[in-house]
Amino acid sequence: MFNLLRMDLYRLFRTKSVYLCLATLLAASVLSFWVMWLTSTPEGRKAITGLDASVTTDSNENDRGMVIISVQNESFPILEDYDILALFREIGMDGGAYACLLGIVVSIFVCHDYKSGFIKNILSLHRRRWHYIACKIITAGILNLLYLVISFGFCLLLNALFHDLVPLTDTDSILFYLSQSWVVTTAFAALFILIITLTRSTSAGVLASVLLGSGIIVILLLSLTQLWSWNSWADYTLYYNQTYMPSRYSTLHDLKGYAVGAGFLILYFAAAAGILTKKDI
Amino acid sequence: MEQINSTPKPLAVETTALTKRYRSKAAVYHLDMKVPTGAIYGFIGRNGAGKSTTLKMLCGLAAPTGGEIRLFGRPAGDPMTARRVGCLIESAGLYPNMTARQNAIAKAKCMGLADMKYVDKVLDITGMGHTGNKKTKLFSMGMKQRLGIALALLGNPDLLILDEPINGLDPEGVREIRQLIQRLNEEGKTFVISSHILGELSKLATHYGIIKDGSLVEQINREELAHKCTDYFRIEVADTRRALPLIAEHLPGVETEVYDSRNIRLYGIKDGAALNRLLVENHIPVYASGFHHMDLEEYFLSRMDGTHHPENETNQEVKNV
Repeated sequence: MFNLLRMDLYRLFRTKSVYLCLATLLAASVLSFWVMWLTSTPEGRKAITGLDASVTTDSNENDRGMVIISVQNESFPILEDYDILALFREIGMDGGAYACLLGIVVSIFVCHDYKSGFIKNILSLHRRRWHYIACKIITAGILNLLYLVISFGFCLLLNALFHDLVPLTDTDSILFYLSQSWVVTTAFAALFILIITLTRSTSAGVLASVLLGSGIIVILLLSLTQLWSWNSWADYTLYYNQTYMPSRYSTLHDLKGYAVGAGFLILYFAAAAGILTKKDI
Repeated sequence: MEQINSTPKPLAVETTALTKRYRSKAAVYHLDMKVPTGAIYGFIGRNGAGKSTTLKMLCGLAAPTGGEIRLFGRPAGDPMTARRVGCLIESAGLYPNMTARQNAIAKAKCMGLADMKYVDKVLDITGMGHTGNKKTKLFSMGMKQRLGIALALLGNPDLLILDEPINGLDPEGVREIRQLIQRLNEEGKTFVISSHILGELSKLATHYGIIKDGSLVEQINREELAHKCTDYFRIEVADTRRALPLIAEHLPGVETEVYDSRNIRLYGIKDGAALNRLLVENHIPVYASGFHHMDLEEYFLSRMDGTHHPENETNQEVKNV
């Protein structure tokens, strides 16, 4: 199994989509910080006026139909409740964009084995097929860890570049949030691996990443079950645990994300391994 | 079913009542394949006969629904046995966005090979060492097949299972792959090769397995095939029951094979005209006679039809008497 993992890691860093999705994540961070800086700091507002934008207190339209944004000397309260972790969550984690992007990369990466036919080379050597699924999940976990660390580290760097736009969060909270996010999003990745194992289709994997990662399916189902006042199930979904994950540990209940993530991870691993064992290549 | 000669070496492949069903349809049914170690086993059959399914089961890519597979005397699922098998099934499985060397390295890592020199060696052996940074998606079909064979050779396997390995190769490529297979076979490697290009296969194979509708019709070695395809004298007479004792009496060293009530094949006969004269003088009308030879393709077709059809045979000389 270690050999399979070596091969996966060798290929992972030669996959373009890995870098494209990371670039998208980082670009989203840059954009968010830049918009925050423009709208929430005196320097940013000065930069807007430097671009000859007319400024009033309220947003309205000028005679050319352009939206005019208000700029005043006093600072906006928009960032007052934010710290670096809250900003990081807002950028990509809570809305599900991160899970979507990770799902897309994992789908492309895993489905490549099937589309290229290289899986024949792999499974003719590794007859215990659960090894294959385990390796894919471990690889997805490693990629997820790298993405989380790099994107959060990049946020810290941007915050420093933007002259401490938001205050830093304590290290315990950062570690608590990132580790719990890692478990939940790796479980998401396992779900997408299960879907790829079942369908062997990149399109299906990408579509599932968008629909499940962004929570569209959960929200749709929730709106349906709410008709019968049954909505407690959503607390045990990966999407809800990712979106409403506590940023710091205070009670035992705050560990629910770990439990839900680990539970789904094991479930999806077992299902994918079972399906791969049953299906011919 | 004829059995191949037993050899003192353990069998490289031995299947017992191997069966693969897809719902109610049996793609492979009670297949008893025996491939001696060191053989080049030509596995032939029509499209959909069950060749690829059988080879996939040998490679562990499809699970049998019945029967047993033993490779080198051990169960096929044994991890150590799996490492002794290299395979190229249907098409070469290659990552299109990687180079030939990167694909080979990926497989080498998958196998746990530490020495990457062997990667370069197999690429050189198969003539893929010069492809440089060219991505495999830009390769021709022949180049992909060669690289597929290179990947199958990684890890120096004892058994190579190749499904249509010369598909898409130009004549020069076909010759090179043939020479490569022969060279590796001389080094002791066993091959199971499925191919529709029977003329090419007959230049390589030492043993043959003919599969029809999922069942093995015949297993035969090269010598037996050569004997069956050898020049023979076919004679069509009015009554074989009268002709046979006469032939046995006057031509004691000649082997005869009766096809139907009118046709007889005679092996080892030199003077066909003398036989004709003998029969006619003994009041046995001869309708047609002549020397014939079958190649593998004709033999295969005759086996596929279930009966030997004299009209399929290459008629070198037919004399109507």
